[in-house]
Order: sequence, then C-alpha cells, then structure tokens
Amino acid sequence: MRGAGVVTDSSIQGVGLGLRPPHYADILRSWPAIPWFEALSDNYLGGGLPLHHLTRIRERYPITLHGVGLSLGSVDPLNQAYLQRLKVLVDRVEPSFVSDHLAWVSHGGRYFHDLAPLPYTEEALEHVAERIQRVQDVLGRQILIENLSPYVRFAGSDYLEWEFLSELARRADCSLLLDVNNVFVNAFNHGFDPLTYLDALPAERVKEMHLAGYEEEGRFLFDTHGRAVQDGVWALYRQALQRFEQVPTLIEWDADIPALEVLMAEAAKAEALRSDRLLP
Amino acid sequence: MKLAALQQLFAAAALGTASASEQAHLEAQLQGSRVLPAWQGIEAYRTSVDGKLRRSLEQIYPVCHRLVGEDFFQAMASAFLEHGVSRSPDLGDYGAEFPAFLSDFSPAWSLAYLADVARLEWLWHRAFNAPDQPRLDLEALARVPPEHWDRLVFRLPAGAALIASDYPIHRIWEINTVSTACHDVIDLDQGGIRILVWRDGHSTRLDLPSETEWKLLQAFASGVPFGELCRQDFDLSGTTIAELLPLWVQRGWLRDFDLQEAAAP
Ligand SMILES: [Fe+2]
Repeated sequence: MRGAGVVTDSSIQGVGLGLRPPHYADILRSWPAIPWFEALSDNYLGGGLPLHHLTRIRERYPITLHGVGLSLGSVDPLNQAYLQRLKVLVDRVEPSFVSDHLAWVSHGGRYFHDLAPLPYTEEALEHVAERIQRVQDVLGRQILIENLSPYVRFAGSDYLEWEFLSELARRADCSLLLDVNNVFVNAFNHGFDPLTYLDALPAERVKEMHLAGYEEEGRFLFDTHGRAVQDGVWALYRQALQRFEQVPTLIEWDADIPALEVLMAEAAKAEALRSDRLLP
Repeated sequence: MKLAALQQLFAAAALGTASASEQAHLEAQLQGSRVLPAWQGIEAYRTSVDGKLRRSLEQIYPVCHRLVGEDFFQAMASAFLEHGVSRSPDLGDYGAEFPAFLSDFSPAWSLAYLADVARLEWLWHRAFNAPDQPRLDLEALARVPPEHWDRLVFRLPAGAALIASDYPIHRIWEINTVSTACHDVIDLDQGGIRILVWRDGHSTRLDLPSETEWKLLQAFASGVPFGELCRQDFDLSGTTIAELLPLWVQRGWLRDFDLQEAAAP
C-alpha cells in the first residue's frame, strides 16, 4: 500500500475507536470525524474483504495495529510464521503503533486464545524483555505492551505489576499501552491503589491509553469490553491525563458492539475530559 | 517454580486437561484475589478459553448451526473441543477437522448431509480468507518459449477447492445464508453435486462446473503439466485445451503458473 493514497503522516492524536466489522459499511459510507482507528491485527493476516476494507479506511485515517497472537510471555519459541505475517501487514498498513500484551496465549504449540498472566519474577522479566527485543528487531520498530486484568495472580513474585512493566519497558526499550480500565479493574479485584500504579510508570514510555467497560459478577470485575466506560474508570482516566497528558486514547468495545454513534459519544466524553470541559 | 513448569500447569488447567494433583499444584502457586478465590480464577480462564473456541466454530459453521439448532450445535462443539487442539495463533485456522469429526459423530448421522455442509463451510471460510492474488500475468506467460510449454503448470486461485457431495449442499448453504435465496423444497435425491469454491476478487463464489470442467479442474488442482494435459483424453466437446485456457484465465479460474522442473536426462 505504499505510495498513492496512503496518509503519509501516521502520527495520531485525540480519541480513536476500535475498528470492528459491524461498522465497516458506516465508515466507508460516511467517513465520520474520528481521528484514528485501532485495527485488530489478527483479523487482517489473510487477504480478501477484511484487508480490502482496512486498506480503504487506511487511505483516510491513521491506523494502529493491536494484536493478541505474539504470545510474548510464552516459553514456546517465538512463532516466526506469525511474526512474518504480522510484518507483512505492518509494512502494508504503515500503522502509527503496533501493540500486543504482557501475556502468553500458547504452550507446547497449543493456543488457547486467551491472555494468560505472567508471574512477576526476574526470570519472566528477562524472558519477555528478550522476546520483545527480537520482535522489535524483526518489525524494525518499537512496539507497545499493554497491561492485563488477570483473574489470578502468582505468589512468589519479585516485582509488583507496575514495577515489572516499568522495568520491562526499560530493558526491552519498548513503549507501553496503558489500559486504564484494566488498572481500575485490577486495583479493585486485587486491592491496590490505582494511583500508585499510574505514578510508577515511566510517563515518557506511555504512548497510548485504552478505555473500556467492565462488568461485575459476584463482586469480581471482569474486563468484558461489552458496555460503556464506567464512572470510576472515567475518574481514573482524568488522573491518568494529568500524568500522561495528551496521550492518544482508544475506546474499546468488543462484545455486544453498539452503533458507531454510541462509540463516538464515548469518544466525545473522553475528548471533553481531555480539554477539561466536562467534570464527571 | 520455573516459568516453564508454571506455564505447563496453567495451560493444562485453562484447557481443562489438568489432573486433580496438577490443579492443586497450580493453586499452590496462585494468590487468590480479595473477591475471587484462585480456583475460581482458573475456572474463569477455562470458561473463557472454551467460549472463544466455541464462538469461532459458530462463526465458521453458521449453516450447520442453523441446521441442527443451538443446543445440538453446542453438544457437537463440546464433543469436538474434547480432542480439537488449536495449533495456530489465528483462530481462523481452528476447526479444520470439524467436518471429519461430524462424519464420525453418530448422534448427527440422521442428518446425512451435515458433514458435507460443514466441509463446504470450511472451504468457503478458507477461500474467503485466502491471500489476495493478482490475475494471471499474461505477459509473463507470453515470454515462456514454446519448447517449455509442455512443462507449464497452471494454478487455481489461492484458497480454491473442489468438493463433491451426494447431496445438493450448495442449495442447502444458499438457503441458509443468502436472504434472497429461493426457498423451494430441496430434493435431497436430486443426485450428486460438484462445486468449485473460490474467491473472485472480493466475492467468494460457489461455481458448479460441468463434468468435463470438473475433470480439468481436478487435473489443474493436482498440478498436472500442460503437455500431459494435452495428451490426456478429455472429452472437450469439440474444443481444445488451448482454446479453453484463455477463457479460464479470463474467468479467474487459472490464477498463476510455473514451470515444472525438467526431468533429468
Ligand atoms: Fe485494552
């Protein structure tokens, strides 16, 4: 896709939306005023219609690529075939950012397609940092690593989560994607002060934030991405804006996906907080 | 505990294959949250993994889902998940063995065409997601000197596949996917059917080749070189392979070519 038609400036700002198939038609018809989209890289590793839609949308909007398949924390060898497919997509789309998670999704060649957490040990830190570096070498660019909201934590960790992430970013020389909802959900579920988390992260490495909705089930908060951003997360986002300033932010919605207007209203809410016009 | 050992235990638990002692061993490594005991946390992963694989099957096999209904489909999915292992980070690669599994799944035997419909759905899914491909490069073809024509191997489009069935599975597929399809009663005894599943640009298609076309398509699919094709005795009703080639290129059925290695003297 290099050359004609590509938006040459791939820097992003403001509040973007997750690109989801139910909205293709709307976007391609009305070219809504949305500053950028985040596409799920795993949906575009083949060809055909999905990639065609993404290519057309890329002609008008900056794109970030967000994936779940790198399995950066796994003790399995890096999946080179997957990495090459990702590289082909990255070269084609010329995204502003490429991100994946502080997680692993496979073991012994078996994929379970869910983001499993790591113990925050020195061994894990060394392991993930080295793999992130290798991925960055192949892609020829820095990637962003996103924090999870795990259902369990491991005993016997050497680091707290925010210490682990900060040290990882330093050792791997990667950037961070701060999911504010995940911090909120984790703080509630596992009982820590979310502001301690935000304060500990190296601000210069946080390049993007995520906002999403959680759901409560039996006093545990699940990061379902299936509803609007909740009040507590908006409040934490305001704190995060003070710390990380105008970092581009994404509205994520993956289950029970509503009309594009609903997502745009969420984005407008975030935008208002960014320009400090609306107090929740 | 070392990372490798921990991941082995965790993966087994998330995939539902952990023994009771492995489960206990894992729980000893975990710190429950204030509101969710560790074993419930593991259970949440197991449920989530199971749900992801199920939803993927539902998306790839919507016609089977419709034909058997939600409860029966979930029962089939449960049985499949017992042995179905995902070996790719791409969820779209999961479920290739589902049609073969259905052939052996005795509770579904009363729907004799179900496994064939599943086969068709898998091929449709693969064609839909196949890599993009330009049209056959006619200029490059023209540059092949005549003495090498015998060794030309023509290729069907990436992701194209041939499927034969004793049942009119294309009609069953159509009625259950295309809202405007004509809803006549389908005659299951109308005889066998042969389908070419392929993608033409951005539209995935089910074409019904004639008997001669079918034989030729099979030959192309198995990489029979041009010289060999010309020597085979195809009943082409008066036309020749050389005349058919440009038509098939134009239609998009032939998408690429290469030269077979010359046989050692
Ligand atoms: Fe996120």
